[in-house]
Amino acid sequence: MCPPNFFGVLYEINPWMHRAVAVDGELAREQWEHLRQTLEAAGATVEMQPPVAGVPDLVFTANAGLVDGRTFVPSRFTHPQRRLETVHDISWFAARGYTVVPLPEGTRHEGAGDALPFGGVLVSGYRWRSDAASHALLSSVTGVAVRSVELVDERLYHLDLTFCPLDARRAIVAPSAWDRYGCRVMESLVPEPLVLDDHEALVFCANSVVVGTTVVMPTCPPRVGAQLERWGFDVVVCPVGEFVKAGGGCRCLTLALDVVLGPSPIAVQRDAVG
Amino acid sequence: MTERAGAPPDHPPDHPPATEEVELVGHIVDSLTLAKVLDLIVDAGADYRMEEFDVGRTSTDQSRARLVLQADDPATLARLMEQLQVHGVNRVASEPAVLVACDHDGVLPAGFYSTTNLPTRVLVGDRWSEVVNAEMDCALVADADGTFRAVPMHRVVVGDHVVVGLGGVRVDAPRRPRGATPFEFMSSDASSEKPKALLVADVARRIRLAKASGARVLAVCGPAVVHTGAAPDVARLVHAGWIDVLFAGNGFATHDIESNVLGTSLGVSIDEGRPTEHGHANHLRVINEIRRSGSIAAAVADGTVRSGVMYECVRHGVPVVLGGSVRDDGPLPDVITDVVEAADAMRRHVQGVGVALMLASTLHAIATGNLLPAGVETYCVDINQAVVTKLADRGSHQALGIVTDVGLFLGQLAGQLGA
Repeated sequence: MCPPNFFGVLYEINPWMHRAVAVDGELAREQWEHLRQTLEAAGATVEMQPPVAGVPDLVFTANAGLVDGRTFVPSRFTHPQRRLETVHDISWFAARGYTVVPLPEGTRHEGAGDALPFGGVLVSGYRWRSDAASHALLSSVTGVAVRSVELVDERLYHLDLTFCPLDARRAIVAPSAWDRYGCRVMESLVPEPLVLDDHEALVFCANSVVVGTTVVMPTCPPRVGAQLERWGFDVVVCPVGEFVKAGGGCRCLTLALDVVLGPSPIAVQRDAVG
Repeated sequence: MTERAGAPPDHPPDHPPATEEVELVGHIVDSLTLAKVLDLIVDAGADYRMEEFDVGRTSTDQSRARLVLQADDPATLARLMEQLQVHGVNRVASEPAVLVACDHDGVLPAGFYSTTNLPTRVLVGDRWSEVVNAEMDCALVADADGTFRAVPMHRVVVGDHVVVGLGGVRVDAPRRPRGATPFEFMSSDASSEKPKALLVADVARRIRLAKASGARVLAVCGPAVVHTGAAPDVARLVHAGWIDVLFAGNGFATHDIESNVLGTSLGVSIDEGRPTEHGHANHLRVINEIRRSGSIAAAVADGTVRSGVMYECVRHGVPVVLGGSVRDDGPLPDVITDVVEAADAMRRHVQGVGVALMLASTLHAIATGNLLPAGVETYCVDINQAVVTKLADRGSHQALGIVTDVGLFLGQLAGQLGA
């Protein structure tokens, strides 16, 4: 995670951002602290990336890149404003001994924001922030199969606003954000989906962080919470309203480091082809 | 690998279609990206041809598809490309064709590009050149004016520049005309269970259309046309100007003349269907008389032949190519006994042909099919479905098979055309 010392809505690169809407810096700091403490209480170890003045969205570490074991694939951002983050992300991972494998220039991919492992494959979104063509490159770098899903709702511009893996069989999904081919791919991939309706998706229910059996959510409508509890999860709501002003929720503020991509033993047996 | 038509227009546009070679790589099968891309192409009213498709062997292997897109005009193609690029489709940069000079007459450089009967273009430098004639199983020879010709192996000479390898050659997908054509209600390529009268009426309509647009009609006739008593119908079609070129062998011409001079076909009375006494030699006697005259035209001039298909062809100046074979009796003096020369003669006469009727002929039909561009509407009429299949198997996909007795077919066709 990266503290929000320099966070603010300084530009508009998604439908949520309006420079006219002021961010309450103190409240943002409180919300971020609360999130950090909640994650640690749930059993996570949180490492810090130092904030940098003039790079407000560095706080959304999910978009730094993709972690696979000790390999880090830095993002290729769509917007020039966010490209400023990459040099800081690379130096943070390089300093910790990660092998940094950049994607070729000219490609677009926004890291864990648009790529989440599930069922032995890497689900990756495309259209608004990442290119479909980048998926083949990601697969070449990581050796893992990719399922490409087209994102059709600009308000849900990253995959992690529409998809939250919970465990090996379950995930929170927002199919209204996917095209019909993507819906079919995800339907066959997720055995037990918790399907969000439009409203639930737009309050970023899917942008949650899962630590063991704890689901840390920016908001949780009763129906969603009841289902999660039936499945045996503990729901903790961490309001991050100041960050929603920039189009991000709980998950956007974190980047999971304990990720090893690759097919699970079960997934290997699936007779999938290319 | 697969081939699918989107929505070609009713009338092919007068400019060549716009094409683009593209590639799609990744887990495009399991992600349904390929399915989506193909749907988008068809929805845009464009066509595609899958040139290459490597499916990943394991779930982690990527797949790769190479397609040629084809749209009616460059603007439609550009719009489609914009759409497809979102889904990871990329242009494939074309490499120019490699040309190698022939160092022996009649011998092609090793690795020569072997043609199809489809419209073809060749990339030289950064410019695509048209191949002026489409013929299958030929080489592509560069002309001084920058265009290319499909040339059969035996016709190349030392110094001809021939395309070698597959690079820089683009073949456009075949387009079947849409709308009310006899092809339209055929779900299979042959018609043994389709209403014949409707088919014949449609073939007649296509012939009228072709003639109206200035195209020529070619008939390729086998001896069964005479045996079944349909030669007078063909003679009427020639007489009325519906047939512009005729290809056949020694047998058809001989039996046509035999039936008109002696009233038999292979010794069997055409009127009574009975073998006539010593009739087995009738065709030899006829051949002998034509040889005495010197040619069929001379036999028409001297009154030996006074009716029939050959007579009408001579009288109306319809060119006839008679190709010989090793089992021919005689043969008639007009028969070209050198098969390479015969094929060259046929090659000269297929220019401008828009409709080809293959009438109860196997060997000459296949030989003709080999020479015709894919755009020529070809109707293969035979009682034996195997002939039709054989033609299609050899690459003449434009052939529509009509499985019926050729005698009945020709009687109805001549009636429909008012011949």
